[in-house]
Amino acid sequence: MARYRIGIDVGGTFTDFVLVDMVETRLRYHKEPSVPEDPSAAVERGMHILSQSFDVALGDVELVVHGTTIGLNAIIQRRGARLALVVSKGNRDNLEIARLRLPSSYDFTVPREKPLVPRHRVFEVNARMRSDGTVVAEPTAEEMAALADGLRHADVEAVAVTLLNSYRDGSLEQAVAATLRASLPGVLVSESSTIWPEIREYERCLVAALNAYIQPLITGYIDRLESRLHGQGVSAPIYITANNGGTLSLDTARERPIDTVLSGPASGVVASTRVGAVAKQPQLITFDMGGTSADISLCQAGVPEFTASTQVGDFPLMMPVVNVSAIGAGGGSILWVDAQGLLKVGPVSVGADPGPVCYGRGGKVPAITDCYLVLGIIDATRFLDGRMALDISAALAALNGIAGELGYAGPDRAMEVAEAALRVASAMMATEITKLLAQAGVDPRLYALLAYGGAGPTHANLLIQEAGIQSVLIPTAPGTFCALGAVLADVRRDYVRTSRHLIGSTQALDNATDGWPAVAATLAELEKAARDWVSREGSLVGTHDFVVSFNLRYPAQAYELDVIVPTDQREQLSGAALAELFHAEHQRRYGFSELESPVQTTTIRLGVIGRVAPVTLPEAMAGIPEPAGRREVWHGGRRIAVDIFARAGIGAGATVHGPAIIEQPDTTTFLLPGWQARADTLGTLQITRGAAE
Amino acid sequence: MRLDPIQVEIFFHKFSAITEEMAITLQRTARTTYVKEAGDFGTSIATPEGRLFAYPTALGVSGFLDSNVGPALAEVGALEPGDVVITNHPYKSEGLSSHMPDLHLIQPVFHDGRIVAHCWDFIHSSDIGGGVPSSISPRFADLFEEGFQIPPMKLVKAGEMNEDFLILYRSNCRMPEENLGDVRAMIAALRVGERRIQELIELHGVETFLQAQADLAEYAATKALAVQKKIPNGCYEFWDFLDDDFNSDVPIRVRCKLTATDGEVHLDFTGSDPQVEAAYNIPTGGKRHPWLTLKLMHFVFSHDKTIPLNHGLFDHITVEAPRGTVVNPEPPAAVGIRSATAIRLNEAIVGAMIKAEPRLMPAPSGGIMIPSVLVEQDEVTGARHVMVLQSLVGGTGARFGADGVDGRDSSLANQRNTPIEKTEEEAEAMITDYALRTDSGGAGQWRGGTGVAFSVRIAKHGSAVLGRGMERFVFRPWGTAGGRPGEKARVVVNPGTNRETELGKLDIFYPEPGDIVTIMTPGGGGYGDPLERPSDLVREDTLYGYVSAEAARRDYGVVLIDGVVDEAATTTLRRQMRAQRGALKTFDFGPEREAWEAVFDDSTMCALNELLMRLGPNARARRRREIFNRVIPRLAEGAVIPLQERVGDIDAARQRIADEIEKLRQDLPADKLAGS
Repeated sequence: MARYRIGIDVGGTFTDFVLVDMVETRLRYHKEPSVPEDPSAAVERGMHILSQSFDVALGDVELVVHGTTIGLNAIIQRRGARLALVVSKGNRDNLEIARLRLPSSYDFTVPREKPLVPRHRVFEVNARMRSDGTVVAEPTAEEMAALADGLRHADVEAVAVTLLNSYRDGSLEQAVAATLRASLPGVLVSESSTIWPEIREYERCLVAALNAYIQPLITGYIDRLESRLHGQGVSAPIYITANNGGTLSLDTARERPIDTVLSGPASGVVASTRVGAVAKQPQLITFDMGGTSADISLCQAGVPEFTASTQVGDFPLMMPVVNVSAIGAGGGSILWVDAQGLLKVGPVSVGADPGPVCYGRGGKVPAITDCYLVLGIIDATRFLDGRMALDISAALAALNGIAGELGYAGPDRAMEVAEAALRVASAMMATEITKLLAQAGVDPRLYALLAYGGAGPTHANLLIQEAGIQSVLIPTAPGTFCALGAVLADVRRDYVRTSRHLIGSTQALDNATDGWPAVAATLAELEKAARDWVSREGSLVGTHDFVVSFNLRYPAQAYELDVIVPTDQREQLSGAALAELFHAEHQRRYGFSELESPVQTTTIRLGVIGRVAPVTLPEAMAGIPEPAGRREVWHGGRRIAVDIFARAGIGAGATVHGPAIIEQPDTTTFLLPGWQARADTLGTLQITRGAAE
Repeated sequence: MRLDPIQVEIFFHKFSAITEEMAITLQRTARTTYVKEAGDFGTSIATPEGRLFAYPTALGVSGFLDSNVGPALAEVGALEPGDVVITNHPYKSEGLSSHMPDLHLIQPVFHDGRIVAHCWDFIHSSDIGGGVPSSISPRFADLFEEGFQIPPMKLVKAGEMNEDFLILYRSNCRMPEENLGDVRAMIAALRVGERRIQELIELHGVETFLQAQADLAEYAATKALAVQKKIPNGCYEFWDFLDDDFNSDVPIRVRCKLTATDGEVHLDFTGSDPQVEAAYNIPTGGKRHPWLTLKLMHFVFSHDKTIPLNHGLFDHITVEAPRGTVVNPEPPAAVGIRSATAIRLNEAIVGAMIKAEPRLMPAPSGGIMIPSVLVEQDEVTGARHVMVLQSLVGGTGARFGADGVDGRDSSLANQRNTPIEKTEEEAEAMITDYALRTDSGGAGQWRGGTGVAFSVRIAKHGSAVLGRGMERFVFRPWGTAGGRPGEKARVVVNPGTNRETELGKLDIFYPEPGDIVTIMTPGGGGYGDPLERPSDLVREDTLYGYVSAEAARRDYGVVLIDGVVDEAATTTLRRQMRAQRGALKTFDFGPEREAWEAVFDDSTMCALNELLMRLGPNARARRRREIFNRVIPRLAEGAVIPLQERVGDIDAARQRIADEIEKLRQDLPADKLAGS
């Protein structure tokens, strides 16, 4: 009987599994060491262990949702396909010149990014369109044959095609791509207008080029994954998580692998919104701190913030993704002292290998995790459920090694360095949070920090104290939170179209033609395309919703605003009503609006969300927490005695007072003196300032 | 440092975060593309005396860290809480505002009745009145042509907006509402800065807050000194040229004497040309100034990436910028395109550092920033539509161990370009080419970055193409340590056809429909002996098309047969080339400058300038122009003719300049000659 769903998230060190029993409303977790050479091997092994440990027949699985970093890693490490690029004549150096900026204005030693396609594999074709969609040059059959010949000689695995102005009308570009597909069997061809038809040739070209670059790898991986799981008796549909927090069928992921490259962090944010909703805290700052890095993002009113200007490796990505930004510290961030005696944290990370000194894998440079250990915040024998014993004496020695340069002496100098490093790290992370909030223009006091990842709960209380945030939420299984997010996600894909027309009230339009019928027609086309797509994404998908927004401006104004159409206005939307929404947003942001002016539409954005029958998160059992032990923690420049609790023992409604250490297999929570942690119905810990004693 | 080092490090992060949060607020709520897209703005916090003690690393314009808000505040007099001071005045703010479109705001932050800091921001506003839309033209000779002058004054007085000022401003600016939208955003950013500073004081106490300002400056000063010690002790002189001052064809020379003593650096700009009757003067007040110390800041930061950005970075630098010269003009000299002069001046500083030790700095970049603009006219209504075609720069210079970057240059303003599709969305004209310019990068063991070639096909009658900031049409970006100079800039109409015309520098050009206008930017200078560049890298450069096969042979001595290096032939050719050429030059300026300096050598120029400086500021420029036109009669034929051709017979020219100097000496009244 189909009763299980499985979420899988592949990380650098571990592959995480969350098993949902839909009948008994239970969650099960598993961490399996990753196999970087073939991540599907760890998936296969983990599935096997899951089925053994929890007595699950894999034939009873109804859904598998898988997050993968293969695409992202290939881009970062430049291990993608041997790629060629086809462009309009005159646009050969699109990737060479890029957007002209160099990474640093101060530092002349920072090189530019290495282009994704070397210049000799960029082919110009005599195909050119104007910005209004008229074709001014079309390649002859001979020219196309010569182009195909050139590509054949270049011996490429994949080709990206980006012609100028194809965002307006993709037909010329698609015709060129189709001819190449026909004449180059076995070569994967991606054209920009099919994947993301938005204005700006460099960014759109990258979408096509990155898609083509990782397509052979991803399709190979998906084939392997599919056959391994089928071999284990899994007949359930398999989905891949996407950058927008949604999921995609395997067929869509094969066609559009670019949609998957930033999916890992997005899944964690999806899970955050669910946990936050139950905790009645829809305003969230998510904080995912792991072994090598820390990521933050913002959720307002329970909805993750999106961005259309993110970075993948060296390159900008113009497609909408959940706005997750890396901040300069993680468990692996190194400690060092500069020539003038100041303690620095990061930006270099020791990563998972060799890792911090305490991992005992040959790391010599102390890192943040070493600090937690020597301060007594984490336990040397119970790290990762005791799977990895930590070497505290090595960590002490490493911290002692830099204590002198900082002017610390005496027997406690290692602890003094460690605590100082955590203060610096907290200050650095807090300033990043401040900037994130400033970007959105919101007040930190309304937000809770939702902490996950192996080190998120460990550092969360220290961080909010520094950042002026009122509370922390810690989900029940922070170490496998992204895998949980995968299994909670709906199917989602985003669309974009350019549509430049004037809209507004009859008076505002005066003599101008009302462009709304044309805009509405384009919107209807988008809706149809989205509806057709979502109907093919599998039988698990039930109803669907649209999210529609427009980029709008006053004519002759250089800047645009993105205006989201409220759900209740979408059905009866008119040009005048849309213009009203724009006037109001302009008033809100700039303090004035021009009601008598028409409004120009530039871009239509549509997201389609295919609802998957929801997972009910299990409620926690009641239970009165009892300290499982006590240990000394160095805090505030001295040793304090701290009670240790097992996370499982903190039942729904129970409260623990700080100072306290709360241990669970996948992480340790440090609760500071003066703060308290209360478990809600799901068992999520809410950390707030304790009542004055 | 008086605070403990952990606290100093924490304040470093908090202070920079304040300036960055100000920048985010300003950019998020601003209205014009100058601020939103190009990022032409700055935000910072200043000490009670007016020096900046923190600066964003990646938001806004990077170059203004060495600014001083003190002189502008001194002009205003007593300040009270809630005041906001505004100015754009290049002279009355002592160069805080270095040209008039830049609007600067300063807000004092009070604690218990005393000023503990100031918040500062600026934007490049899109118009400040004056003789042309956008207010900048090279031909302007004084401030009155350049627009509306705002001496330091209170825009907001104790929280109350000065409405009279707004009335005056609105009637002196072509697009006041857009700019005032940005000014509102600037005030919002100042308020954010003020609030954050007050929170810091609440948390740490005012004395700690003030001590942290001082400690971080001291820390930066120590770090900068450590880097500057890499410059060997000694005195190094270097000079460089702007092609001309636009209103005449006389080149502008900027000169720098750099003295290094155990890391202390003194920059003496004596010998630079007198101020010009054009918009190329740099208003510095004769003191240390961001435009004078820019390259040293890049040098320090490149060698110590952890240095906090604050005024302490410049503590061990002093400057001498004589009054009445292009580096410290007397009012009301025009200053609109001071950046062009500043680029060249900073390249002169680089030259001086390279003389000290070639490995310290890269060879110069293309050294230009051209915001090229297209104007199209509606044939019925006559309405003119103005749009940016492209921000054009050259490549960067090579340095020891690394090639220059092709087609990009972050060394002055690290701005983004305009997508072709964005231009074509607005324009009828079509961009037919935007590509790297083969063979334009200076040859060298490490190659200079190539320039770009940008072509537009004109569609409409009555179109115009504009491009200010056109430089390096006459003098090349030089090569160093045996490296060759980069190619010069060019503007050509209908290249490769029988209607091909070399335009030289354009200010405004009226092409016909169907014409293709091509702008080519210079390449960066090369570094090191080109014959030492590994032949395989030369082969790769030809494979990628950065270098042609002919240039591989001519400049690098590498023989390629069907794309493969003929090692034997290459060895032979390189041996021949080594034998035939003379010793390697530390600097290779190209034939243009060599011919020019054969006539106007350093001592001649210093002697001439010394005499010219004895004339009144207005007499100086005219006399100077006359002298050069008499010495080089063909000078006025312009950049289309290579300078060495225009110079002609060198000995004759030398005789003429000697005569002119003697005549000038005789023309000076006796009291003006005292001491010479």
